Amino acid sequence: MLESFGQGGLSRLEDSISLVKEIKQQENIPSLTYRLEFPFKDSSSQFLSDSTYSWSQTDSSYISKQFSNGKEIDSLFQSLPADSIDLRFFVFDERSDVSGVASYLETLYNTGDFILSEDQQRPEKDLVLMASRNHYEPLDEYKNKLLSDKGLFSVTLINFLFIFLSICMIIFMVIFKRKRNQKEDNIKDFENEIIEPLTSILFEKSLEEIKEMTPEMISSIYPKQIFQKRLFKKVLIDKIISLNKKMKGDFKDKLKVLYKKFGLVDITKANLKHRHWDNVVSGLVQVNEMDLRDLLPLVKEHSQSSNFHVRSQAGATLLNLSEKVDLKFLRDQNYPLSDWQQMHYLRIIKFVAATKSLNIPILFSSENQSVREFGVKLVRMLGRMDLIEELHKINDQVLDEEKVELIKTYDVLGAHMEVDFINQCMSSDYPELKKEAIKCAGNLGNEESEKILLDLLEQEPDFQSRKNLLQSLFKLNQQTFDVFISNHPNQENLAIQAHLLDPVLNHV
Amino acid sequence: MKKILIIEDDLLISSLVQFRLKKDGYETVLVKDGNEGIDAIDHQNPDLIITDVMMPFRSGIEIIHHAKKNHPEVPIIVLSSLGEEEEVVLEAFNLGVVDFIPKPFNPNELAIRVKRVLR
Amino acid sequence: MYNFLFYFLIELFGVAFMILSFSVVLVYLTIMVLSALEMRDFRKKNKYADYQDIITSPIAPGVSIIAPAFNEASNIVQNAKSLLSLHYGRFEVIIVNDGSKDDTLQRLIEAFELKKTDYAFHPELESQPIRGIYKSPNKSFRRLIVVDKENGGKADALNAGINISQMEILACIDVDCILSSDSITRMVRPFMEETNRKVIAVGGAIGIANNCDVKDGTVTKYRAPETTLGRFQVIEYCRAFLMGRMAWSRINGLMLISGAFGFFKRDLVMAVGGYFPKTVGEDMELVVRMRRYMEEKKIPYKVSFIPDPLCWTEVPEDQDVLSRQRNRWMRGTIETLQLHRKIGFNPRYGILGMISYPFWALFEKFAPIIEIVGLIYTLILMVIGDFSAVYFLGLLLMVYLLSLMVSSFSLLYEQIAFNNYKDRKDLNRLIWIILLEPILIHPKVVLWGIRGHIDFIIGKGGWGKMIRTGFKTAEDRKNIETQSNSI
Repeated sequence: MLESFGQGGLSRLEDSISLVKEIKQQENIPSLTYRLEFPFKDSSSQFLSDSTYSWSQTDSSYISKQFSNGKEIDSLFQSLPADSIDLRFFVFDERSDVSGVASYLETLYNTGDFILSEDQQRPEKDLVLMASRNHYEPLDEYKNKLLSDKGLFSVTLINFLFIFLSICMIIFMVIFKRKRNQKEDNIKDFENEIIEPLTSILFEKSLEEIKEMTPEMISSIYPKQIFQKRLFKKVLIDKIISLNKKMKGDFKDKLKVLYKKFGLVDITKANLKHRHWDNVVSGLVQVNEMDLRDLLPLVKEHSQSSNFHVRSQAGATLLNLSEKVDLKFLRDQNYPLSDWQQMHYLRIIKFVAATKSLNIPILFSSENQSVREFGVKLVRMLGRMDLIEELHKINDQVLDEEKVELIKTYDVLGAHMEVDFINQCMSSDYPELKKEAIKCAGNLGNEESEKILLDLLEQEPDFQSRKNLLQSLFKLNQQTFDVFISNHPNQENLAIQAHLLDPVLNHV
Repeated sequence: MKKILIIEDDLLISSLVQFRLKKDGYETVLVKDGNEGIDAIDHQNPDLIITDVMMPFRSGIEIIHHAKKNHPEVPIIVLSSLGEEEEVVLEAFNLGVVDFIPKPFNPNELAIRVKRVLR
Repeated sequence: MYNFLFYFLIELFGVAFMILSFSVVLVYLTIMVLSALEMRDFRKKNKYADYQDIITSPIAPGVSIIAPAFNEASNIVQNAKSLLSLHYGRFEVIIVNDGSKDDTLQRLIEAFELKKTDYAFHPELESQPIRGIYKSPNKSFRRLIVVDKENGGKADALNAGINISQMEILACIDVDCILSSDSITRMVRPFMEETNRKVIAVGGAIGIANNCDVKDGTVTKYRAPETTLGRFQVIEYCRAFLMGRMAWSRINGLMLISGAFGFFKRDLVMAVGGYFPKTVGEDMELVVRMRRYMEEKKIPYKVSFIPDPLCWTEVPEDQDVLSRQRNRWMRGTIETLQLHRKIGFNPRYGILGMISYPFWALFEKFAPIIEIVGLIYTLILMVIGDFSAVYFLGLLLMVYLLSLMVSSFSLLYEQIAFNNYKDRKDLNRLIWIILLEPILIHPKVVLWGIRGHIDFIIGKGGWGKMIRTGFKTAEDRKNIETQSNSI
């Protein structure tokens, strides 16, 4: 289709008039040029000096320089005597006649490098022509495409963004690193600076003497420029607190007085009011460790904080420093106590138990199961034999999970009087409780327990349970144990017997 | 002058103990971990060993073992961060240490005990 | 007609790759943000934790450390000693001699005065036969139990150790790992913290000990490894542990806990039937199976991760060894995904099924294949002179730059959070590796991954058929007799 169209289109140019007419419409046709020529006889004409044409002389005529813009033909002829002048065409600088030019144009036309003037005026309408033009677009036009294609543009943009971000991060890292290393070095230096004078004061001055120290004496302990640095004070706080944790006796009091004398309480106060929770927590820790009772009202504000760490540290501080240790706040807590928190509270309660009376049974009436369990654990871990009676009261009211804690507590405290409860639990459906009760029976059991153990052994328990049962029976009454084994000499029982008799496994 | 070997990984504690004992006129050797501790026991001929129970690399119990085996005459005082956990205390005494001081502790008290042991 | 099909495919691939590249970018940016948030919270929380407390508290759980050893004679005594001196109150160390050909067992017996005991136990998890259980009458070694058994591979040895273990928490580790003395206290914390969901497992970061100073069981001075491959693994470690796992932990989507250092709830490991010795990716497989179990039982749970540097190991710097390792990892991943393919895109399995599984399938399992196909595609485009080739080179550059950014971000992370590589020179070396890695090393990793695929397809290990069928439920593993079908 394309071919037939092309031939039809160019057939018009076969006579010279229409050819010249067409060329006059073309601004540029690749490698096609023309010159003007006129014979010698008119050599006198003044226009020979017109530089636009830069005429040159040949054997028989004058000839102009090469022109390529077809549209200029008419204007070039205007100032010349048109009759005597000829138009000469050149293809690749070779002289060519009309038919030669026509066939050259036809070739160009077929490759798409020459377009008829009338077609040029409506190119967008002609898809096929567009296509044939596009086909030969020169390579360097990709340059524009890089930017005009939206997808590629965004990829390029993202690439630059990534480069930018990576560079930023690397630069940040290098700077950060330098600062960080410097800080760490400073901390180390400060630590070394702190330890010597601090230990000597602790040993050489009595508590009274420290209390009487004047601000001047205090400020002479450490060089002034260093002491004013925030980081130094931070390190000092850390050191005082960690010493306080590891020391006993009047050293603790000395450290607390020094803390106040150094003016570190202001930092604590600022911490408590800080908007970042981690600073608040460190403030609470400082209050707690340094007995800063004056700040308790500030601490109370945090006891209902929505942040777990703040809430729990505030609770611990209150527990530690309040005149009256009231476990009510613990009883009324409605979120479950994690083991982590229990550990935390246990440490503090253990510490204050020596000096303050604790109302542990109040925890047994909590709505919160984990708090009730913690209460039972406290009895066990503080060795409160006096509370066994209180525990006895709740024996039958609590959930199986709590009974596990009760049994463990009776076991540790050696509560022989609870043997009925233990025996009852040995037949529980809750495996954990059953296991603990069986274990406990080994230590606290009676003849009744022995019977239950034997009963349970008859029920073909799994290996682990069998081992527990036999272990308890062994502890309780070795004779019954031996009788049982000789009556049931199966492989499992014999293996367990060997285990229980192995001296290395049972070093007492 | 009596020589005391302190095996303790906490710099604060050890420097405190060292300071206190120096004041009483003892010569002190400070090491930070179990390995150095065993080395020092063998080469420094201390008159008394003060050791932590929990340290990197070799436990205090192992150190006590080593000391009792090779230098049974040197008394040992244990400074324990394990608190008063029964098992550890018992084990330490079983191995023949003369004293067991749980952390937190009072350096003055330690000094008194050291004096008593070395008398 | 063929022509048309060809161009249609080219077009289709083009769109697919574009979507893929942009999703890679999005996913990694998300990971960066998530991990940053998680790290920030972790650091804050850590500041106030009194780890001293856990050591002695009666509330802290007991821990059984299980370390399989195979031909470790040269270091075994040293390693056992450093395990025994960890700072913790209630723990036991179970070393499982997995049928070593050298004198591993003999050295242990001599060093710790071990005696063979009549330890009675029930092999609830199946393993190769146990030859003996040893303990020491010497009280200072009372925490040590040595299990001697026939050789059966790492997973098998771990199962044997788990059978013997007594404590609530299992710590499964590589015996040649260097553990920081406070590693137990830190790893146990997540188990103690949660109240509304059960923590089933806690993973730890593995540091690279190559070229570092190790003293008394801890790395005292960090140095970048000597070789390019070693350094590359440092970067990889930052990316995987500090960034990747932190992000997954944020959305509770962790699928992998490194076998060299992982803590598990014992009752749960028992409930799902322990390790599965027939896959090379036993560490990942166990975590997936435990998670699957929790999802199937509809119990709220969490898999936690602790980024603190607590455990170090020597990584292979030799190309052959590394390539075998990566090949194995790839096979492990494929096998695990295959075994549990039922959870993929299954909303019943929540985040595990809808996010973690697809991510692993796309970004870990198929990543090397996709990369190779993408490269070939771009080459074809270039050959036929299609303009889109430029476009794809652009995409390629984008992915390269992304990797650059992700790596530098994770290194930055390491610097902010732990600052272990203190020397400027080391940092510069690592930055160099970040720039070169995508060109120098990444192609190799892709190749190794492809080899893993090939090895999986041709069925190395002889257990391929079973793995292709997969587990119907998490508890299915217990019904499979692995013994009868030995390797």
